[in-house]
Amino acid sequence: MLRAARSCPQCGSSSVVQDDLYAESQLVCQDCGSVVSEGLLVTDTGAGTADVRYSHSTAVSKVPCRNLIKGLQRVRALCRILRLTYDVEELAEVYFRKAYTHASFIRVTLAKKEALVGCCVLVSCRLRNWPLALGTISGLVETDPALVGGVFKELEKILDVEVPKSSITDVLEAHSREYKLSSAHVPEELAETSADLAKRAVALVELATDSWIVTGRHPVHVMMAAIFISWQSLRPTKTRLRYSLNKFCRLSHMPLNKTAVQRVGEMKEVLCRLGQEIPWLRADWWVPDDVALHVEDILQHRHALLREALRTHEASQKAEEASQGAEEEEEEEESRGTEGESRGTEGESPGAQEDRQGTQEETQGNGIQPSTVDPPPRAPGHQPDGTDTPPEPCTLKAVNGDPEEGGGETQGTQEQRPAVHWGKRVLFAPPCARHAKVCRTDASRWAEVNGDEEISDSEIDSYIRRPQEVRDYLQTQQQLLAATEDQEYSVKK
Amino acid sequence: MDSGNEDALDIIITNVVATFRTRCHLNLRLIALEGVNVIYKPEVGKVLMKLRKPKITASIWSSGKIICTGATSEDECKVGARRLARTLQKLGFRVRFSDYKVVNVLAVCSMPFSIRLIDFTKKNRPIASYEPELHPAATYRIKQIKATVQVFSTGSITVTGPNVQTVATAVEQIYPLLFECQKPLRK
Repeated sequence: MLRAARSCPQCGSSSVVQDDLYAESQLVCQDCGSVVSEGLLVTDTGAGTADVRYSHSTAVSKVPCRNLIKGLQRVRALCRILRLTYDVEELAEVYFRKAYTHASFIRVTLAKKEALVGCCVLVSCRLRNWPLALGTISGLVETDPALVGGVFKELEKILDVEVPKSSITDVLEAHSREYKLSSAHVPEELAETSADLAKRAVALVELATDSWIVTGRHPVHVMMAAIFISWQSLRPTKTRLRYSLNKFCRLSHMPLNKTAVQRVGEMKEVLCRLGQEIPWLRADWWVPDDVALHVEDILQHRHALLREALRTHEASQKAEEASQGAEEEEEEEESRGTEGESRGTEGESPGAQEDRQGTQEETQGNGIQPSTVDPPPRAPGHQPDGTDTPPEPCTLKAVNGDPEEGGGETQGTQEQRPAVHWGKRVLFAPPCARHAKVCRTDASRWAEVNGDEEISDSEIDSYIRRPQEVRDYLQTQQQLLAATEDQEYSVKK
Repeated sequence: MDSGNEDALDIIITNVVATFRTRCHLNLRLIALEGVNVIYKPEVGKVLMKLRKPKITASIWSSGKIICTGATSEDECKVGARRLARTLQKLGFRVRFSDYKVVNVLAVCSMPFSIRLIDFTKKNRPIASYEPELHPAATYRIKQIKATVQVFSTGSITVTGPNVQTVATAVEQIYPLLFECQKPLRK
């Protein structure tokens, strides 16, 4: 009991002591027993009401974060905009809750959280086979597609789900609805329903997939090209055939992309090539601009036309090889005639080989030495009987080696023809492979560097300025500085 | 090595990145003043120095850490790094060439066939990823050897790894997987 300096208001006595009742502090008069004053039942005074960070408070576990609530609302809104089913919406919410609390997404910018919302919807759509493109999602959340892409890849890892890829043909139908080509928007002559457009475009895209136009390319450009060609071919009037892709995009209120123009060219080239195989049409007047007239026929019989085109190509390749073989035999006969005169033919050919190899399109690296043999002339991508040859182990050959390689003369004569890239030998190849650039490197590379050579002073001196140069440089710098100061001073005046 | 197979692959090393330390503080202003082929970037706090032979670009920090890029072989990179250290020595710094390490090697290889990327991704599901809307190539990460391979439909692949041997191993590992995916889907 503690004595407090107070007087009791009841009896006036000064013997007031502190007599706590459990946690409640009380001042009690010893003489009359009255309670003079009592303390608060609540123990925290002001410290608990000070500002505490949300993440340090107990509210974290009790009340969900505001951004989490907003994010979930955004997920639901996106699902409603896209008219997704209830199970897709539920799955998206579950994924969002799981991903939001992960270390990669808990303390990030709001833009990234917005991207996370879009990616959760995208992942759940893909898992339920609902066609949705990444571009659509990045447009809806109004975030940079690169950021959305990065978040999508991280989300795949965090959720540990195998997200199936969306096929271009699935997305095509939804994409075709964006084109404003109904009779309400355009004149009757130019109008087309999105269902018809999509149906024809799907066939075109399948053909493009078989002829290496789709793989590795952005799907939107391919889809735009397919829809343009299908629109032209559904009613190939003169008016429609005169429309360029640029004009078509303005007509249908779609943004033009220059890459889509290239895709149109590539698709028309393939259609021309197949059109040449149609037996009831002459093969000599095929021009890409006229191909729209016959697209329907080509698409209807595309499998048969593809087979025919491959057969024709293989036959022409065999004929070419046979004629080249005949030429080589003639050359060999000539060279045999002159062999008796120059003894060192075999000794020369490896040397000649190595010279030719220096100018071949295959280049010399320094760590791993390149090979000396270019691939045999055959079409590796299209085998007629479709047999699976076992994968041949790749070998990394040394360049400085091998005078006996390739067997001397036949190899030498084969090397005389310039090496042709495999892309030019097959019927259909990715356009980049068909127009492959020839890689030329400096022939006088550092062939025998071992990393520990002596470094001479003369080499190093070329990288250091002479004292006179340094003095000149400093002088010029000072003069320029003085000149600019004078200029500023005169301007101020 | 020659197993009777005539199809050999060319692996062309396009870039080797290495780091080393000089174990002394470097005055970047002095290097910028007295060095030829030098770009001073005070906002970032580094100096870029370009050597002609071998063709290398070096980023020099005042702490003495230097990163060399642009070489086409590990040995060339080492010679370039040593030349650079020697140049800094001549400029008056007490340089000791230490902690030299090749950090990254980038190589390019070309297969003689085109590759179906969707097929390739499906067959190698968790390891390979392909998003045509983001990047035209499929990415294949080999965790064991810490290499990343980017596969393009034209048959070209780019391989990134910590050293040349890793790059060669990565190409050998991925070749059979690519070979399987070269056939067209239907005739």
